[in-house]
Amino acid sequence: MNGAGENNSLIKGIQVLDLADEKASYCSKLLADMGACVIKVEKPGGDASRGIGPFWKDVPHPERSLFFWYNNSNKLGITLNLEKRAGREIFCRLLERTDIVVETFPPGYLNRLGLDFEVLNTINPRIILVSVTGFGGDGPRSNHKSCDLVASAVGGQMYVSGSPSTPPLKPFGEQSYFTASLFAAIGILLAIRKRNQSGKGDHIDISLQEAVASTLEHVMIRYFYDHIVPGRRGSLYWNNEFCIVPSKDGFILLTLFQQWETLVELMESEGMAEDLIDEKWKNEEYRRLHHDRIVEVVQRWTKTHTTSELFELGQLMHFPWAPVYPPQEVVESPQLRARGYFMDMDHPEINASLRYPGLPYTFSSVSLKRWRRAPLIGEDNAHILGGELGLTKKEMETLSSEGAI
Amino acid sequence: MTEHAMNKGILTGLRVLDFTRVLAGPYATRLLADFGAEVIKIQSKKTASGAETNTSGYFNTWNRNKRSVTLDMSYPEAREIFLKLTTISDIVIENFSPRVMTNWGLDYENLKAVKPDLIMVSMSGMGQTGPWRDYGAFGPTIQALSGLTYLSAFDENSPMGLGYAYADVVAGLYAALTVLAALEYRDRRGIGQYIDLSEYEAACTLLGPALLDVLVNHKDILPQGNQPDYMPAAPYGCYKCSGTDSWCVIAVCNETEWEALLKAMGNPEWGREEKFSALSDRKKCSRELDELLGEWTAKHKAEELADLLQEAGVPAGVVQNTEDLSKDPQLVARDYFVRLEHPVLGATISDTSPIRFTEGTTGDWKAAPSLGQDNRYVYTELLGIKESELSLYVERGIVG
Repeated sequence: MNGAGENNSLIKGIQVLDLADEKASYCSKLLADMGACVIKVEKPGGDASRGIGPFWKDVPHPERSLFFWYNNSNKLGITLNLEKRAGREIFCRLLERTDIVVETFPPGYLNRLGLDFEVLNTINPRIILVSVTGFGGDGPRSNHKSCDLVASAVGGQMYVSGSPSTPPLKPFGEQSYFTASLFAAIGILLAIRKRNQSGKGDHIDISLQEAVASTLEHVMIRYFYDHIVPGRRGSLYWNNEFCIVPSKDGFILLTLFQQWETLVELMESEGMAEDLIDEKWKNEEYRRLHHDRIVEVVQRWTKTHTTSELFELGQLMHFPWAPVYPPQEVVESPQLRARGYFMDMDHPEINASLRYPGLPYTFSSVSLKRWRRAPLIGEDNAHILGGELGLTKKEMETLSSEGAI
Repeated sequence: MTEHAMNKGILTGLRVLDFTRVLAGPYATRLLADFGAEVIKIQSKKTASGAETNTSGYFNTWNRNKRSVTLDMSYPEAREIFLKLTTISDIVIENFSPRVMTNWGLDYENLKAVKPDLIMVSMSGMGQTGPWRDYGAFGPTIQALSGLTYLSAFDENSPMGLGYAYADVVAGLYAALTVLAALEYRDRRGIGQYIDLSEYEAACTLLGPALLDVLVNHKDILPQGNQPDYMPAAPYGCYKCSGTDSWCVIAVCNETEWEALLKAMGNPEWGREEKFSALSDRKKCSRELDELLGEWTAKHKAEELADLLQEAGVPAGVVQNTEDLSKDPQLVARDYFVRLEHPVLGATISDTSPIRFTEGTTGDWKAAPSLGQDNRYVYTELLGIKESELSLYVERGIVG
């Protein structure tokens, strides 16, 4: 099975069946980007995540979901109805030549279909099954329903995002799905390594809740060590190290604790340091206690400059300042452009080459630049089921009329 | 030798030179250490402060299961020792700003000369190339540059962002992923790899659909709080419950869940109104819907509501703070929090790995090392430096 990424040889030869919905479609995308052959297995008619926007030209359609496109590029696509016996039989035949299965069904669903890990393992003892669920495969809440909003809430992300005067805020985008997918992909590479030694597959259990709770940086540490329950602080960082203030044309993230005197000199040279030139402000503790006053004075100064002036000025002084970029400015970022971060992908059926966000890494010995857009619904049925599994045209027609593919 | 034994795991037998600090790098190497790699963290007395203070909770959390040696790179002899360490290692990970390793004469070409199949990861804020390569960046800097801070807000005039350095963790995860992929390649082909990982780009990958939307539809995207337009669900949001700062989230993604919600609420009359009958209608008048729902949630405790709704088949959950998390029955049942004994800090608690295999992995985990605790073992036993020579290095401050 030579997949879309045949030139991407980093982890060439690894065969993945991707049964995942939006919760973990990014997991096998991570592997596909590095050269694994990933076959997305959708139910006939297409996966429900094709209904998630945004959409190409803002027209909702299963073949136009940008969410689906982003999370499924570099994969092949077939349709298979696992709830039909004929569909399951084909799935089992595919299993024989598969290393990894990624799934996001509710715990117990595969069991009811007779496709739980023990069964898969009998068919192929080297199989690695990855289950990504809201709360994990066991425990009192394993059957609770989840989604990114629920995972963000129960994982501790929301309580510490937002301001004291607003409700808790869910970070933008499906962050729990992305982080769970990263953990799952790392788990897969670990499992392959383990299998190389033992010859045996494994079942990896990833919980969205735990994935979120594992990305909280200082939050749990302060609870366990300092008995503090961190709350929401708007744009002000928990230790006052960073804050966001308005500029002439937008917003800039500042840190006010590094090289204090340099900052004050800079403001004073424009006659805008006010009382911050006083000796007492040189004391860091004093500055922490009177942070509001500093922000008040600094804002009066930042409002006289554009965001890009402040960004350049700050970085020149080695302050880790940054513009609060809206996405429309992110795509114009000279840094991302200089590094060739964005990649063009052909979409022949709409006669377009579209620019995508690319990969955050480069490997010196391997080129990973070959891209293929996400599969259309059932695009590779003929190639994989006919070509690879050797089903005849007639068999395919029968399966199709039975609703199995 | 048993006193030097590390935890056993999938990566046992691999050695990692960990030249990273604070969070992004240490998060990556912690992941490798959790699964059995021998991670040797290189520290120095001069830099072991702040987040790198060995006896702080922060350090202990991100550096468990690792070894610590001291090496002061300001001495020329330190470079020779570093090269020797490289020859016995599989992987070098560093997260300095791009010029630092080169200035020490320790860039990939130099290291490859002594260890031809070396895998090296440089993880910096902006990556090793480009006009901003030398820019200073912490997690919040990256979040601001990526669009995450701007979009995580209730409106475009008050950007908020996340309350923690999320981008550092994400960069750490990508680093661990790329190391494991490079190992797979090395084992198959015998060829090492230099990996240039940009934390800025790593954060951008998590905004993929939004950036793609801008790139292909040429439009501006505004922050939308908890209720993005693109989400095919209503009601979908965060609702106030009884008690102080107590909230629950409710996500209704289809008609079955809508019916279940109405039933759980005792079938209020407004629920049958025409304007709420289909998902697309509910989405149009979501503000009114949220108000009506909010009146109901405000009368109940968040935990009771979440249980009631989950029982009914509606995705819901408590907006949990750290105390809730520490007692969360699901996390507790799955042993999510692991206790490790630390010689100075005593009994400490941290998160386990969310990557769960059939067999557990935490049985022989250790707390973070004290500063230079493995100097003797690493320098004399692994590198074969004579005791007398090591004493000299210590005396001169090279190992220090």
